[in-house]
Amino acid sequence: MTTTACFIIVSRNDIPIYEAEVGSATKREDAAQTHQFILHAALDIVQDHAWTTSAMYLKAIDRFNDLVVSVYVTAGHILCVFLNSYTQHILFGAYITLLNPLYLPGSRIASSHFDTKVRALARKYL
Amino acid sequence: MANYLAQFQTIKNSCDHIVIAVEDVSDLWPNIKSGFEERVPIKRASLNNKTRNPVLVENFPCEFILTTDSRLRSRFPQEQSLFWFREPYATIVLVTCEDLDEFKTILKPRLKLIVQNDEKEWFIVFVSRAHPSNDNAVKMAKKVYAKLEVDFSTKRRERCCKYDIHGPEANFWDDLESKIMECVRNTLDRRVQFYEDEIRKLTEQRFMPVWNFCNFFILKESLAFMFEMAHLYEDALREYDELELCYLETVNMPGKQREFGGVDHGDDWAALLNHENKPLTQIVQDDSFREFEFRQYLFAYQSKLLFKLNRPFEVASRGHSFIIGFSKALTLHENMLPFCMREVWVITACLALINATASPNFDGLVATDIEKEFYRLKGDLYSLCRVKFMRLAYLIGYGADIEKSPVNSALLSMLTWPKPPVWPSVPLDASPEVLEKEKVILQATPKIKHFGIQRKPLPLEPSVLLREANRRRASLSAGNVFEVFDGRPALIDGSASDASSRTPPSKKMNAISMSRTNSSPGTFDGSVDRPMRLAEIYVAAEHALKHTISDADLWKALSSVVEFEQKYLELTKGAADNYHHSWWKRHGVVLDGEIAAVCFRHGNFDLAAKSYEKVCALYAGEGWQELLADVLPNLAECQKMLNDQAGYLASCVRLLSLDKGLFSTKERQAFQAEVLRLARSEMKDPVPLDVSSLITFSGNPGPPLELCDGDPGILSVTVWSGFPDDITLDSLSLTLTATFNADEGAKALRSSTATILKPGRNTITLALPPQRPGSYVLGVLTGQIGQLRFRSHSFSKGGPADSDDFMSYEKPTRPILKVFKPRPLVDLAAAISSALLINETQWVGVIVRPIDYSLKGAVLYIDTGPGLNIEESHVIEMETRVNISQSSAEMTNSNGTQKDCSLASIKEFQQLKLDNGRIEFPAWASDTDSVIWIPVRAISDRLPRGSSSVTPQKQSNLDGMRTIALKLEFGVSHNQIFERHLFNHPNLKNHIALICRTVAVHFTDPFHVSTRVADKCNDGTLLLQVILHSQVKATLTIYDAWLELQDGFIHTGQGTGRPTSSFFPLMISPTSRAGIMFSIRLGKVIDKDEVEALQTESILNIRYGIYGERTNGAHPPVAVDGIETEDARQDLLFKSAIVLQRPVLDPCLAVGFLPLPSTGLRVGQLITMQWRVERLKGPEDNGISEHNCKVFALVISVGVVYYLLFLSLSIGTGEVLYEVSANSENWMLAGRKRGHATLSTIQGSRIVISVLCVPLVAGYVRPPQLGLPNVEESNISCNPPGPHLVCVMPPALSSSFCIPP
Repeated sequence: MTTTACFIIVSRNDIPIYEAEVGSATKREDAAQTHQFILHAALDIVQDHAWTTSAMYLKAIDRFNDLVVSVYVTAGHILCVFLNSYTQHILFGAYITLLNPLYLPGSRIASSHFDTKVRALARKYL
Repeated sequence: MANYLAQFQTIKNSCDHIVIAVEDVSDLWPNIKSGFEERVPIKRASLNNKTRNPVLVENFPCEFILTTDSRLRSRFPQEQSLFWFREPYATIVLVTCEDLDEFKTILKPRLKLIVQNDEKEWFIVFVSRAHPSNDNAVKMAKKVYAKLEVDFSTKRRERCCKYDIHGPEANFWDDLESKIMECVRNTLDRRVQFYEDEIRKLTEQRFMPVWNFCNFFILKESLAFMFEMAHLYEDALREYDELELCYLETVNMPGKQREFGGVDHGDDWAALLNHENKPLTQIVQDDSFREFEFRQYLFAYQSKLLFKLNRPFEVASRGHSFIIGFSKALTLHENMLPFCMREVWVITACLALINATASPNFDGLVATDIEKEFYRLKGDLYSLCRVKFMRLAYLIGYGADIEKSPVNSALLSMLTWPKPPVWPSVPLDASPEVLEKEKVILQATPKIKHFGIQRKPLPLEPSVLLREANRRRASLSAGNVFEVFDGRPALIDGSASDASSRTPPSKKMNAISMSRTNSSPGTFDGSVDRPMRLAEIYVAAEHALKHTISDADLWKALSSVVEFEQKYLELTKGAADNYHHSWWKRHGVVLDGEIAAVCFRHGNFDLAAKSYEKVCALYAGEGWQELLADVLPNLAECQKMLNDQAGYLASCVRLLSLDKGLFSTKERQAFQAEVLRLARSEMKDPVPLDVSSLITFSGNPGPPLELCDGDPGILSVTVWSGFPDDITLDSLSLTLTATFNADEGAKALRSSTATILKPGRNTITLALPPQRPGSYVLGVLTGQIGQLRFRSHSFSKGGPADSDDFMSYEKPTRPILKVFKPRPLVDLAAAISSALLINETQWVGVIVRPIDYSLKGAVLYIDTGPGLNIEESHVIEMETRVNISQSSAEMTNSNGTQKDCSLASIKEFQQLKLDNGRIEFPAWASDTDSVIWIPVRAISDRLPRGSSSVTPQKQSNLDGMRTIALKLEFGVSHNQIFERHLFNHPNLKNHIALICRTVAVHFTDPFHVSTRVADKCNDGTLLLQVILHSQVKATLTIYDAWLELQDGFIHTGQGTGRPTSSFFPLMISPTSRAGIMFSIRLGKVIDKDEVEALQTESILNIRYGIYGERTNGAHPPVAVDGIETEDARQDLLFKSAIVLQRPVLDPCLAVGFLPLPSTGLRVGQLITMQWRVERLKGPEDNGISEHNCKVFALVISVGVVYYLLFLSLSIGTGEVLYEVSANSENWMLAGRKRGHATLSTIQGSRIVISVLCVPLVAGYVRPPQLGLPNVEESNISCNPPGPHLVCVMPPALSSSFCIPP
C-alpha cells in the first residue's frame, strides 16, 4: 500500500526547520507544496489546542480530506508535525536531535545523517 | 399511528402556547377578560424541567380560553390522550355571589361538580362586584369569600383568590399569576410523567418487530413540543437530540434499509433550517421516515430551539458537523441522487447556515473562545461551500478561471469527483454550446508567470476529468475505456497533466491534430459509445446541473464566468474574514491570497498587492519558503504594474534570497536582471532597500584585527552574495559599532570604488581609518547599485560558503576589530650614557626600539639644541642593535635564509644621508631595534678650569649637557601617519605618529684638572701637582703636556715647563687619574698691574690621543673630511686654565687672651685681665719688603693655598704700643690703658700685658679689648681669641651694703 506521508519539524517561531517527505508513494512534484500548505494551515489549529491540553501528542488534530495531521508538541514548543503518519521512532530521533547541546535553537536541521535516519525509520515503520 | 401524523402536524402548527381554561360560572369573563389578558405573557414563571429542577421562565405565554369555546369542546377523548400537550394546563373558575344562602344552595354544589375532576388543575377566582362605598355589599362579599375559602381551600393548597372588580387589591395579580403557574407546573409535571412513561414503554419494545418509529416519534416530539410551549427549550432540544439518536440507530439497522429520499425536485436545496419544508406525511415511509428529509427536519427543529436559546454559535457548530455527516450519507446514496446533488446540497446548506447565523450579537456575553470558535466554524462553512462551488464551476468548464494555488489545489485535488451512476451525456441540441466551450478551451492560454517562471500548474482535480467522465459513461457500453481514451486524448487543457505525462510524444502530436478534427461539428454525433471530449463533458455537466439545481441564485452564480467569480469572491471573502475573526490567521491570509489572485486577474493591482503582501508577510515571517515562492512572484508583478519600484525591488530581492532550490538559475538570473534594470536605468530617485536576506557579511574567522590606537588598517570582510550572477556594486560601506560605547555613533568604512560580488563568498577589503580604542563589531553593510541604496543587517555565519543558511539570528556578534588603548609604540633613547668629547665630532647614538610595532617608512627628524652641531656633510650610520639574546635568536632564525651565518651578516648596517634634518628609515629597521649614529660636535668656547685640592670639583654636568630633539614620524602606512606617545596633539588630525623626544647627551672634556701645591721648598720653589681625572670611558694617552704660567710665576730653571719627555706617552685608563708635577717659583710682580696679574691664568696644555668605542662612550673624533685612516694617530689638544693668585698678607703678632680665674667675675671684685703678645716673625724673614710685609699666596683657581708672612716691625725699636678699650659703664679700669710695652724683635718673644679692672654691672658684658694701634689689624693674629662676652655675677652679700630700709 502506498502512503503519502510527510514529517516536518517546526521551531517555536513557526519556522520549519526540517522537512521530509517520507511516504512510500511516488513523490508527486506538486505534492510538496500542497503538503506544506496543509501543515502550515494546521498550525492555526495547533496554536489553539496546544495550550488547552496537557497532552503533548495531539492526535489527528486536523484532517484534510484523506490526510490526517498529528502533532507532537515538545516542552520547548517545538512541533513535530506528522502528515498521515505517526511513529514514535521518528519522534524519538527528532527529539534527540533537538536535545543536542550543539543545536542552535531555531536553526535549520541540515544534518544529512539525521535525514537519512528519519527516512530509514520511516521506511521501516510506516 | 402514522395516520395521526397529519393531524399532529396541524395541531403543532396551530398551537404554540399553553392554554388556560376559564370556567365562567357567573358570566363574568367578558367584564374581566381584558384585565386578565393584559397579564399575559406572564413576566416571570417558575417551572420544573424534565429532571424536576425549578427553572425560571420569562415572558411565559399563555392563552385564556373559555371552557365553552369550540376549540376545547370538540375533542375526542382518544385524541386527548395522544395530543395531551394541547389540553388546558389550568382551569380558572370565575364565580361571584352576594348572598350566603345563594352560595350555599346553588353555587357551592355547582362548584363541587366542576372541580371534582381530578385531572384538572383548578382554582377559584371570586369576583367581588361590590362597590367600595357600599359597605354592606362589601361585607357580604367578604363573608361569601370567607365561606368559599373554607369550603375549597385546604391547608395544603390555597385555591381561592378574590378579585375586586372596582379596584383589585395590589397583590391580586401576583396571587393570580402564582396560582396559574402552580397549576401549570403541576399539570406539566404530570403530563411529562405521562409521556415519559409512554416513551419508556416504547423504548423497551424497540427491538421488537412491531415497533414503529412513527409512534415513538409522535410521543417524543409531543413531549418536546410541550417543553417548547412551556419555553423549556433546553428540555425540548434534549428530546430532539434523543430522537435523532434513536432514529440514526433504527434507520441503519440491517434489514430495515429504506429509501433515502432526496430525489424530489427541490431536494437539492438544503432544508436543514426549514422544518416546514415538507409535511411529515410526505416523508414517512412504512413505519419510519426517509433519512434525507427526516434528518434535515430534526436538525431544523434543533436549530430552531438553539436560536430560541440564543446560541447561534451552537447552530453553526452542530450545523457544520451535520453537513459533514450528511454529506457522507449523500455520498453513500450518490448513485441514486441527481448529478452533483451532494455538492449542491452542501453549498445550499452552508449558505443557509451562514445566512441564519449572519449577525449574532455577542456583545461580550460569551467567552472569547466561543466567539473565536464560532467564527472559525463560519470560516469552515464558507470554505466548504467555496470548495464545492469551485468543484461545480470546474465541472462546467470554469476551471481556467480558478487560481491554481496551493490552497485550491489541496482542497480540490483531494476531493473526489461526483460519482453519478452514469455521467451525464450531452443533450442532442447542445452542439453550439459545445463549440462555444471548445473555443474557450482553445483560447485559454496558460497564465505566464512573471519573470518567466515556469511551473507545472498545481492540479485542481483528483484525477483527469476526461477519463473519469468517460469511464462512468462507458461503464454502460462495451469496450475498454483506456484504449479509447489513449487513442483520442483531447488534451487541450493543461490540467490534464497526468495524462500528458503518460502519453508518448508521438501520440501527443497525434492528439493535437486529432483534437482539431474532433472539434469540428461534423464529427459530433453525441453517441453513447464515443468518448466525450472535454467540452462535451462541460456542456453535459452544465445541463445536468441545471436540472439538479433548484436554487435560482446558485444557478445564476454558475451561469457565467463573471457571476461565478462574483460568488467565488463573496465566499472567499467570507471565509477569510471569519478566519481572521477567529484568529486563524494562516487560513485567513491564505484566502486573502485567493482574493488577491482574482483582483490580480482583473487588473485591480492595488488591492491584489495589498492582499499578496499579507500572504507574503505570513509565509516569510514563518519561513515557509516553498509557499512563499509560489505567491511572491505575483506580488512582484503587482508591484511592477503599480510602479511601486521600492516594493518591486524588495520583492525581487526576496525572491533571490529564497532557497536556491526553489527557482532555477535562469529564473534567479531574471530576478537579478530586474533588480539591475531598475537600479541602473529606470529609477529616477534613489530607493533604499533592505537586502539583509540576500547579502550577508561577517568578519573573517579567526581573531579580530588588532590595531594600535590611531592606526589605520585594512579590514577584510567576508560578504556572501545571494545573487546568481556577479553583481557590481557602485559603492560599498560598512559601519563599525563599538561594543562598549553605545553613544559612540557607528562609523562607516567606505569603499567608493566599484566592487564586484561573485555569487557566494567574497572577501572585501576596506581601508580602515584610525579608530578610537575599543572593540568593534560589524554594524550594517550599505551600498549602492545605480539608484538603489541597499543595506544589509544580517551577519552570516562564518561557516562554509556552501551552507544555504544565509542568516543566523542568534549568532552572537563577534568583535571584528580591536583597537588598543594608547601605549608606547617606540622608544627613542640615547645609546650611551657616558660622556663624549666636547668640541670634537663624536658619534651620538640613538637607540630606536619599536615596541611590537612596525616602523616601516618612519622618518626621524633631528634637531640639535644650542651648542651642538650635526656634521651634515658626514653620513649617518644606522645599524642593528645587537644584544646577546637577540643575536642568538637571530642566529637560529637566519640559518635557513642566509648562507653566511656570521654575526656580521645578521647585523645590518647602513649609511644614511641626513636630508634637511630628516632621516628615512630603511626597511630592515622597521621591526628590529636599531641604533642611529649621528656625528655631532658640541661646541664650547669656555676654557676648562682646574680645581684646587682644597676646593673639590663641583659636580656640575650642566656645562657639558647638550640636547638633541628627535622627532620620529611613523605609522602603518606612508601617507597616513599619526601622532602619539609623548606628544599628543589633541587637535591634530593629520594622522602622524610622532615621538618627540629630547635626548640629552653629555659632553665633557677629556680631563678634569685639579692642582695642589705638593710642596713649598725652602728656596721658593713650588711643586705644583697637576692631577688629571679622566672624564671619559675611553683610554686616553697623553703625549705631551706643558704649562703656560701667568705673570708672577716662572718655571724653575730654564725649562719650558714640560715634564720630562720620557714620561710620555702616559696612558690613563677610563675614569682613572694621573698626576704631573710642575716645578715653579714666584716671579717678579709689577705692582701697578696687580689687578691685571690676578686675572691672568696659567694654561695647562695637554696633547693626547683617545682610544674608545662609540658604543661605550667617548671615542676618537669622526674624521669629517671623510678620509679616515684607522692607524693615523689623532693628537688632540686639551687646554685648561689654572689660576695662581697671591693677594694675601701675613700676621706678625699674635695676641692671646689669657684665661680668667675660674671663680668667675663678680661685680665690684677686682680682676686682672691679661693678654699675651707674641712676635711671630723674626727680623730675618723680612727679606722682600722693608716696611710692609707682602704675603704671596699661590692661588689656584679658587682660593688661598698658602701664606707667607713678612713682618713690618721696625727692627730697631722692639716696642709695641698697646691700648685697652672698655665700656666705662661696665668696667672700671685701673692702671694704664695705653702704653708701650717692650717686645724683643726675636721671633717667638712674648710679653704679657695685664690690666686691673672691676666689673660694674652684672650680666653678660663685653670684656675689655686689647688693641695694638701701630700694627695693622691684618698683621695680628688673635690666638687664642678673647671672649666676646663674659659673665659677671652680682656682688656677694656684704654687711656694708646692708642698709635697713
